[in-house]
Amino acid sequence: MNCREAVEHLYEYLDQELTPENERKVREHLQACPPCGQHFNFEQAFLRFVEARCRARGAPPELKRRILHELFGE
Amino acid sequence: MPISPPAPSPGPVDEKRASFEREALVHLDTLYRVARRLTGNATDADDLVQETMLKAYRAWDQYEKGTNAKGWLLTILRHAFINEYRRRMRHPETVDVNAIEPFAVFEDLQDEDPQGSFFDRIVDDEVLRAIDQLPEQFRETVVLSDVEGMSYEDVARILQVPVGTVKSRLFRARRMLQSKLYSYAVSMGYIKGSPA
Repeated sequence: MNCREAVEHLYEYLDQELTPENERKVREHLQACPPCGQHFNFEQAFLRFVEARCRARGAPPELKRRILHELFGE
Repeated sequence: MPISPPAPSPGPVDEKRASFEREALVHLDTLYRVARRLTGNATDADDLVQETMLKAYRAWDQYEKGTNAKGWLLTILRHAFINEYRRRMRHPETVDVNAIEPFAVFEDLQDEDPQGSFFDRIVDDEVLRAIDQLPEQFRETVVLSDVEGMSYEDVARILQVPVGTVKSRLFRARRMLQSKLYSYAVSMGYIKGSPA
């Protein structure tokens, strides 16, 4: 696998959506190619950052109370 | 010795409630986060989630217990959003998403910040604002995949599009999001970036 092919699979690799065979090929390429490894690490840092920032907040407690009241009369 | 009466067995209403609490209500935070990004405001998000839960409870007998409750609930939520909220939103979507040229932030930053350390300095509200500025198709795909961690297949099922469409939307959406956050980080002086 060359750099172009590896980068084509970048997000599928990070999202764990590749077949085991392609996943192995990408992993081997990353071990052998530091620039691609750096690129993949950057994208992974970005995805982790988005998830962490956006999952910090959930439903307001008042909404949960409203729904329980509506559903079960509590 | 007195014999204690047998414990009453739960009735069908109690069982319905228990299974709904166990399988559906546990996804309240996910529903709220998705609704908040779809509607763009807290009041509509509250109403949309409440309506989704009421519809889901009424249709609970049709849901096959122990399968994918999160996906089932999000499908209900999205249908409710399309039918009842989207048409009265302020900004109808007119963006040709295929015409958007993705910009690769890493290529600009590989010398200055190859590890993406500048991300750490960007606060929650700024990221949420950047997501809210994405075209709706991209916004919903990013929220389901990147925030709620759903698989391409689950996202495709909820959005009723092919898996290939999910992949291409994610690619463009992530590039757009990076680009917005990159511009923000440059404007705040977190990174120098390169001149446009």
